[in-house]
Amino acid sequence: MSSEPEGVNFSNYGIYEVVENLEIYLPNTTVRIEKIGEKAFSYFRKDSEGKVVEKMIPTNSHTLKIELAPIRPLNHPARRTGYVFLKFDKEIYLSQNSAASIFVHCPIEIGVFVIHESHRESLDWITCNPINSRFGLYGPPDSGTLCKYAEVTLATNFSDSIPYVEGVMKIIIENNLTTGQTVSKVIFPITDNSLYYEGPKSILDGIKVTLKKRAVVNIADVQTDSLDTDWTKSPTWETSTTNTTMEMGLE
Amino acid sequence: MGNKYDQYYNGDGIRIMVLEFLQSLSDTEIVGGLTLLSLLIGGIIMAAGIIIAKIAKMVFFKYYAPTLPQDTAKNFGKLIYFGIIVIAFLTFTSSQGLDFSGLLVAGGIFAVVIGFATQSVVSNLISGIFLMVEKPAKQGDTIQIPDMGISGTLLDIGTFSSKVRKFDGTVIRIPNEKFFTSNIRSLTVSTVRRAEAMVGIAYKDDIDDAISAIKYEISITMPFVLRIPEPEFRVEELGDSSVNIQVLVWHPRDDWSQAQPILLITIKRALDKAGIEIPFPQRVIRESKD
Repeated sequence: MSSEPEGVNFSNYGIYEVVENLEIYLPNTTVRIEKIGEKAFSYFRKDSEGKVVEKMIPTNSHTLKIELAPIRPLNHPARRTGYVFLKFDKEIYLSQNSAASIFVHCPIEIGVFVIHESHRESLDWITCNPINSRFGLYGPPDSGTLCKYAEVTLATNFSDSIPYVEGVMKIIIENNLTTGQTVSKVIFPITDNSLYYEGPKSILDGIKVTLKKRAVVNIADVQTDSLDTDWTKSPTWETSTTNTTMEMGLE
Repeated sequence: MGNKYDQYYNGDGIRIMVLEFLQSLSDTEIVGGLTLLSLLIGGIIMAAGIIIAKIAKMVFFKYYAPTLPQDTAKNFGKLIYFGIIVIAFLTFTSSQGLDFSGLLVAGGIFAVVIGFATQSVVSNLISGIFLMVEKPAKQGDTIQIPDMGISGTLLDIGTFSSKVRKFDGTVIRIPNEKFFTSNIRSLTVSTVRRAEAMVGIAYKDDIDDAISAIKYEISITMPFVLRIPEPEFRVEELGDSSVNIQVLVWHPRDDWSQAQPILLITIKRALDKAGIEIPFPQRVIRESKD
């Protein structure tokens, strides 16, 4: 991994208009956009693993507008799933018939979008922390759910986001069972969780985990909990899945 | 004579000529009431049936097949195509009042002979139908047939044979009977697969250090290796020259090429970095002075 010279100010998320050249500074990543013709731009990106992406962007105007925004952590090293497996660094114990709200760091990726008049198109995506972008399996090999896996730490509040690497997500856990339960992980489809940004920080729609009894088995029902915030909502190109909930077994 | 020529050169003449031609065809009987005219009508009906079947199949594949699984779409396509052709044939026979019963009785002995001769063909056909119903593998699946030493992508389960594209790019045709009765190992049913490698380290080196080094290198350089289940390490054997460790890692089903072929490279690099020796085979020879 390359290291940045001291004193480098990383670029914020947001909209950039490229007239001639633009350089975006991200941790361990270089992004450069240059005008190469009357209505053409070149895009260059070198990431923390040394991989280079180069693209030509023909445009209808003399300038190019792009948006840098946090996106769901589903694309590195390849898009294989819409599920995320968050393993908490500390287990959470909930007494019977109780509830708790926690904030956790959730890994994110960074998307580069080309802005057209009515819509945005995905040009590229970047991860500034590839080591923490790995897969995990929930369930047995033949019928389990492939997930993006991350070991996450608890955050104090929404402003505790780690710029460019991790956003903050609120998780509400309700224990409707008659016994105390320990929660050490949560698995859910992240495709319906929107991301929001402000400066270099990002937050995600939360989830609500309900521990309940169905017939004779205890399950954890996970549902998306939309966020009401004045932060800017990230664009997305993904189609929402019809499956917005997840049921986990309890250990 | 001139009058007749005049008739031929106007519309009536042509009509008369055509009718005479058709009458001659109708009078020419081939076998069991089958005339040349009915054969011509049958040909026209069959040709129209084939054209309609092709159009129906094309429309189906263009507009409806993309929403169906590949093999289901292909089977439906065949059903539509051959269904229309069979309907066209039945239309032809019923419109001409043809009765094939005599022909069938006469051909009874011949059918027995043909039956023996085409035993394998019928067997392949029946096996093909069972394969389509049972679906031991779908088109596009990566399969292995250990009995035949074949590995590759299943391209098609046809009426009489199935086609597999081997990993070297060649396509092999397997009669359905053999395909149906063979052991078929599907490599794409599970969500994840496991890659394995064996490595030997010197007796003087610490096993835990070697495992830690390999584990770290895999976590850094092999992004497709799953964190859960974790890579597994088994000391398989205290061998003649080395302590043999088996390394097992899981990866997403379709990313075999990102795991198995580079696993040994990663292990070698990890041990080199950690200064752990991979010993050559060695034998200690003691010479007695007696």
